[in-house]
Amino acid sequence: MSSMDVPADATPPGAARSETRTAVDRPGIPTITWVTLALMTTASVASLRAAPTMAVYGLACVFLYLVPAIVFLLPTALVSAELASGWSGGVYRWVSEGLSKPLGFLAVWCQFAMTIFYYPSLLAFVASTIAYVIDPSLASNGVYTAIVIMVLYWTGVWVSSRGTKALAGLSSWGLVIGTLVPGTILVVLGMVFLAQGNPSAAPMNADHLLPQWTGLASLVLIVNNFLSYSGMEMNAVHVSSLKDPAKEYPKSMFLAMGLVLLIFILPALAISWVVPADQLSLTAGVMQAFDAFFAYFDVGWMTPIAAVMLISASLAGMLTWLAGPSKGLLEISRQEGYLPPFLQKLNKYGIQQNILVTQGVVTSVIALMYALIPNVSSVYWIFSTITTQVYLIVYLLMFVAAMRLRKNKPDHPRGYRVPMLGLVCTTGLLASLAALGIGFVPPSQFGGGSVIAYVLFIACGLFVLGLLIPWLFLKFRKPGWRTAAAESTGDPS
Amino acid sequence: MSRTRFASEHRWVYIGAIVILLAMVVIGLIQFRSVKQNNDTYAKAQELSKELVAAGYPAPDIDVVEQLLGTDGGAVCEDPGSTLKRALWNVQQLSNGATGPGQRPVIGDTRAVELERIVLQVYCPDKVDEFDEDIDDLDTRETVKR
Repeated sequence: MSSMDVPADATPPGAARSETRTAVDRPGIPTITWVTLALMTTASVASLRAAPTMAVYGLACVFLYLVPAIVFLLPTALVSAELASGWSGGVYRWVSEGLSKPLGFLAVWCQFAMTIFYYPSLLAFVASTIAYVIDPSLASNGVYTAIVIMVLYWTGVWVSSRGTKALAGLSSWGLVIGTLVPGTILVVLGMVFLAQGNPSAAPMNADHLLPQWTGLASLVLIVNNFLSYSGMEMNAVHVSSLKDPAKEYPKSMFLAMGLVLLIFILPALAISWVVPADQLSLTAGVMQAFDAFFAYFDVGWMTPIAAVMLISASLAGMLTWLAGPSKGLLEISRQEGYLPPFLQKLNKYGIQQNILVTQGVVTSVIALMYALIPNVSSVYWIFSTITTQVYLIVYLLMFVAAMRLRKNKPDHPRGYRVPMLGLVCTTGLLASLAALGIGFVPPSQFGGGSVIAYVLFIACGLFVLGLLIPWLFLKFRKPGWRTAAAESTGDPS
Repeated sequence: MSRTRFASEHRWVYIGAIVILLAMVVIGLIQFRSVKQNNDTYAKAQELSKELVAAGYPAPDIDVVEQLLGTDGGAVCEDPGSTLKRALWNVQQLSNGATGPGQRPVIGDTRAVELERIVLQVYCPDKVDEFDEDIDDLDTRETVKR
């Protein structure tokens, strides 16, 4: 299961490793198995955090996860499986080959930029869960939250800087301990509940298959759920770490897809069997909802254990996100000189340490503001929305690039070919456009504000973060910034 | 690289992670106090049940309400107006089903907000004004089929 069971390094014992000698330069050196990569992908996308929130919808949560899976997850997984089995390097390489190199940079920039606002909210969740275990009163203490965010984030940077193998092992085990084990416990307890003859708390009949339709609000919920699967393609950047990428990456994606669906749907359903929706609404957070679930079985002592498990899953997810997009950004920057040489430097493990550290400084500043300045935290979610909008640009580019590559390079060897690629890409493209469009609909939190102001804010954010900044990098790059040969990205096939 | 060499290279990362997680489990188990049910918790749970039924909601399980909310409302009443918590609540409770970076706020369910208000009224009435101020301009709809 782990990365431990494969040959890991071709460097002879005792040989000094060159600073520039990395996985990028040594394509095809296997360091992780396809199962490990599937677990990394699953860890970066799925966790149990949303289970109580979605359990409120009862049987309709199946619909809320399955429809996005058909129109967004399936196209993303299939297309990235085909592209990764033909071209190593992740979205930057696919978009570069299919469209153009500047657009390839745009794709990987958007993937990278999106994560900046993700870490503070994720780690604030971890901080509040740790507080739940140790002392709940800490949860509303900004200084405590800031300290936890900083310590965990920089520990994550340190682990990531030790190489893909270290984070592959931790993220895989984090998924198993933090998601698969507690998820299985929830489902087993839920089935025991039903087997004891108790009626399901949520109606499980055909009338409740579809969610309540309230027009725009329902549309916002359904379409925004497409984003539940964002990140399925992110770990393709590690494809050159597989033994046989062309065959193994598609297998890895299919396994990840199955796991993600099971993790999202079954635990949410199990909670809805046991705890009525109205009672879930009485709880103040994710952990209280788990507490309510365990209370039914008189195993309240399991709540703090579940909390620690959730913490490990969240940290596993963070590790994969730290390593993936920044690696993609590094690879295209080295080949094309899109970033200053300082940001292209590697440590002795061949990891983009300076990008991670720079990203860490920016994230730390945002995290400190988030935790310590009240007015910032109240508008934080607007920036979260902007970054998910920016991420959708990656998918638009990826689907268009896939169609172009099939048309322009039909004979390029691929380990896997998507049947009816045009239809699959069009579906994914339309789903991404729908998610992009629905991002302009104000959510609950903006109920009292001007719709025009909200739309302008999101549009400006999308323009600045998703287009202006990468354009400035392209505009001001210098020829001397190009530090690696283009041939460093060998095709896996 | 052999399994042994790999394991030894990252041994301290793994050992460190295991030790920290186990320590948290131990602390959690020691610190975690499930609410001791007594006449007061029962009376409060009954009062909440009465209020909920009066507002048109089904009666909750008294036993679970006692364990969750005790006599002081537990986590629901802990500083419901604090900015950090509000920010977390806004993004995490009224959001889509994503758990990764795709997490995004949605238009939340009206009754979920109403229910929390009823809990505050019963368990910590002094927090209701602050809560009302926070949710005053929330745009919610009935998105959950009951």
